[in-house]
Amino acid sequence: MTVKTAKTTATKKRKRVSKKSKASWRKHCDINDVEEFLEDQRLEERLGKFDEKPDEELFIVDTTGGDVDEKPEVKPDLKAKSFKERKRAQLAETPKCFEVLLPTSKVQDPNKKRNTVKQVGSKPSDLSKLTEKRQLSKGVLSRKLEQTKVNRKLAIQKKKKSKTVRQSFDKNIWDAPTLESKGIPETLCNEFVSTEAQLHNVPTTKRIRAKPQLPKTLLTRAAIEVPHPGVSYNPSYQEHQALLSEVVQHEQKMMKRQAHLNRVTTNMFSKVTQGEKEKQWQEEMSVGLPQPHNPSNDPDPEPSDNEYKAVNPPVKNKKKDHKARRKQREQLEEKERLKRAKIEKKKITDLYRLRKIQESLKKQESRQCERSTRLASKREEKAATALPALNKHRPPEKEPEFVDPAILTGDLRNLTNTSNLLRDRFESLQRRGALAASKVMMKKKRKLKSYFKPGHKVTEQDIKKYIQKLDKK
Amino acid sequence: MVSKRKKKYSTGEGAQFMTRKAALKKLQLSLKDFRRICILKGIYPREPRNRKRAQKGAGGIKTLYHTKDIKFLLHEPIIWKLRELKVFQQKIRKARAMREYGKMRKYFSDYPEINIDHIVKERYPTFVDALRDLDDCLTLCFLFSTFPSLKRVPRDQSLLCRRLTVEFMHAIIAAKALRKVFVSVKGYYYQAEIEGQTITWIVPHHFSFKPQNKDEVDFKIMSTFVEFYIMVLGFVNFKLFHSLNLVYPPKLTAGLNSDAEKDLVDEKAYVAERVAAMNMSIARVAGSNEAEELPDIDVFNTEDNDPEKMEEAKKEAEKIKVLKTMFKGLKFFINREVPREPLVFIIRCFGGEVSWDRDHFVGATFDESDESIAYQIVDRPSMDKQYLSRYYVQPQWVFDSVNARTLLPINKYLMGAVLPPHLSPFIDKTKDQVYMPPEQRALNDPNFKPLDDEPSDEEIEEASDEEKEEQSEQEDGEEALARQYKQEMEQDSPSEDDDDDDQDPDKKKAAKEKKKAMAVTTGVPVKEHPYKKEIEDKQAFRLREKLVPKKHRNLYKSMKAGQEKRKKEIWLLRKKRRLHDEKVSEEKKAVKRKQKMQALEA
Repeated sequence: MTVKTAKTTATKKRKRVSKKSKASWRKHCDINDVEEFLEDQRLEERLGKFDEKPDEELFIVDTTGGDVDEKPEVKPDLKAKSFKERKRAQLAETPKCFEVLLPTSKVQDPNKKRNTVKQVGSKPSDLSKLTEKRQLSKGVLSRKLEQTKVNRKLAIQKKKKSKTVRQSFDKNIWDAPTLESKGIPETLCNEFVSTEAQLHNVPTTKRIRAKPQLPKTLLTRAAIEVPHPGVSYNPSYQEHQALLSEVVQHEQKMMKRQAHLNRVTTNMFSKVTQGEKEKQWQEEMSVGLPQPHNPSNDPDPEPSDNEYKAVNPPVKNKKKDHKARRKQREQLEEKERLKRAKIEKKKITDLYRLRKIQESLKKQESRQCERSTRLASKREEKAATALPALNKHRPPEKEPEFVDPAILTGDLRNLTNTSNLLRDRFESLQRRGALAASKVMMKKKRKLKSYFKPGHKVTEQDIKKYIQKLDKK
Repeated sequence: MVSKRKKKYSTGEGAQFMTRKAALKKLQLSLKDFRRICILKGIYPREPRNRKRAQKGAGGIKTLYHTKDIKFLLHEPIIWKLRELKVFQQKIRKARAMREYGKMRKYFSDYPEINIDHIVKERYPTFVDALRDLDDCLTLCFLFSTFPSLKRVPRDQSLLCRRLTVEFMHAIIAAKALRKVFVSVKGYYYQAEIEGQTITWIVPHHFSFKPQNKDEVDFKIMSTFVEFYIMVLGFVNFKLFHSLNLVYPPKLTAGLNSDAEKDLVDEKAYVAERVAAMNMSIARVAGSNEAEELPDIDVFNTEDNDPEKMEEAKKEAEKIKVLKTMFKGLKFFINREVPREPLVFIIRCFGGEVSWDRDHFVGATFDESDESIAYQIVDRPSMDKQYLSRYYVQPQWVFDSVNARTLLPINKYLMGAVLPPHLSPFIDKTKDQVYMPPEQRALNDPNFKPLDDEPSDEEIEEASDEEKEEQSEQEDGEEALARQYKQEMEQDSPSEDDDDDDQDPDKKKAAKEKKKAMAVTTGVPVKEHPYKKEIEDKQAFRLREKLVPKKHRNLYKSMKAGQEKRKKEIWLLRKKRRLHDEKVSEEKKAVKRKQKMQALEA
């Protein structure tokens, strides 16, 4: 009994089967329905879709009622065609032998553009050659040629004109926007369709992405800074002096900074002349070598008591005795006790000093608060004019413009050019963060080596050319 | 199950930013194209709050972009255009290398152009937005209009810049929108007001082109900026012309059209053409009238109803109204040594008519011999032939008049005179609480008169005291005469009445009595006591001060304290100056008296 039950369980379909390998997958998966569906689809493709077919094809209006007598079928009178006629009718049909080649499927040709075979007549035949000759003699062809020339010219002009349309600026782009221009499909451009529905149906490719906001530096900083009144071509004395003093201050600041840098870098290292350096090197290298005896360098002969004395006598480990140790310990303890007593005493006195302590704390707090606000305001101020760091290069700082008093003639006629407006603009863009500061790298011209190919016959001309090239360099 | 571990920098600032290299990879563009499209679309590198995190732990300073910015770029159809261009460039390169020049030429002629007008609309959704960002655009366009064709700049760019800038100037002239001018060493600063937006731009002085140092400016980048700005300026011009009822592509002189490019090689001829173009009047749309004068400011009841502010705004509007027609009906003749472009622009902006020497430059409208010329602008110390019917002034008179918003007296600006300084009109009016010596105040405000009516001219000061006394005596005499005359007049008028009375006193009496009976006592108008009113106003002001919210109280207090302090400083300095002046004048007097005494003794 038990055996039998075991057998039945074995034959029973297992709930979970491994579909690890391809074979086991095929074995355990039922794909009949999929295949059936695919078969259906293929059939549909071949014969056309069932639901797309017109009703006339699928249904017949049953006009013959059950009770009405059937009319005798009217047959079109077929006249027997003659053999010739039958043949002629067959001419239009595709030959039977080619019917196999025709596509039976309703699936459209995926590659419509096949190589076209040249038709008969594309090659000039004897007849066409003759007609051409005739036309040439008549002057028809030359007329055609002229016509094509004119046409070509017209086409080029048209193209050129279409290019200059860009420069005509012939529309108001700030018109009220039409719905179609927003990308809303035409079918929904109706007053009865709610705006939500319209916007919802804008295709994703046409949906306008909100432009992220510009960097803050670009929004807050003016493109054209207000000029200092001292840069006028005919400034008042005070304003010009103010400008000059600004320039001087700036220059002093720079000099101070340069001096600081020098002090911190180059001046940190002591300078040694070449001779000294060599001497030092010689000394270092000759350490340990036997020096020539110099009697003046000899140490003074000390009065010796005929006892040997080492240059570095050995260290003795002298032990402390008990008394010394006790004294030391007692001292330490005393120190500790005094310290504790002091703390205890301070605790009591602090109770009376509470008000003062509170006051001092308050003062400290207020001082800190003040300091933090001051620092914050300073930081803010600095951030408002700070140069944006967008690159490893720093944009050039704005310098006050120096107007040489010598060039101020007071009239427009003798004005001379000193500043470079383009560079000014470029730097302004960098300072506002529209451009990452960069150093313009110059391209190096590659030097071409020229030489004579071995085995090449060198003519006099070649030599002349070579010499000319050398001269040019 | 343990949840998947979050990767570092997949959220937060690390995910928000992208290095330029990553952006290039994402967009599949070359650096050149990326730069171009960034400038066109207005995408700029960003500065992160925490660089270390934004660079995903990498050191150094890298150029970072917002990931959102790059995603925004990803949807731009122009990117596909750029890729197409790349193919074209490859074809051209290949054709050149294969020496198939015909093919190459064909590729060049078929080279697709990028249309960027949708970007203009996208970056500036409204016209006002475009106007707000016009400063940079105008300055660069004016600058590029002076450039010859350069290596990295497309050929048509500078020509287009020339055309568009002249068109823009015409729009400003038609709208009478110019407000301020400042001639600096760098160039001319102009400020105009269009649709409530102030636009400032710089026009360089016209010098011959100076070749730029190659390592100073990246021309390629600047020309890309200009490429976009040209588009903006074109559409702004179109809109401006239409709002002014003008025909948009105005028919200007031949030099500004692309067809005539070859004929005008000479730089001077080009400048002449340009100025001539500015002096032309442009066609109006048929059936349109002149732009009507703006009506007076309507008063709306707003919450912030500050009568002082309203008054100020009204005054300002009045001034601008005067400014707009400052030169109307006046004829100007510009001598040939004067830079014509700024002057023609400015004078025409305020309704004047301009002409110049017909023999030297094209486009003159009337001759020098025209008697109706009111002003001739000269920049030389003297002239041989002068007309009596006109004033000969230096060009600075025009600039200063515009800034002062009235026609300044010409005596300081006559030919050969040493000019007063040209002051900047761009001074912050809010920082007016500073001490100004009276000389400077007189410069800034033509109506200012020093309070102490001392004759400032040295000559008069040098006049002897006696003369002064005489003068005062004379004045006294005149005054006395005037007083006498007045008294006589007063006496005369009642005397006439008396004559009437003499005729029949009885009748008169009866009439008087009747009158008395019928009399309607004249109403006495309630006299407004000015002092009382002042006190009331002050009280009201104090009450309002008390109503300042607590939040702003400290700020208000500090502001007031600052004002007081500055006032006091000014007062102190003025007093100092007064004392000093008095001392100086007294010393002078003493010296003179001494000299006189000496002279008498001798």
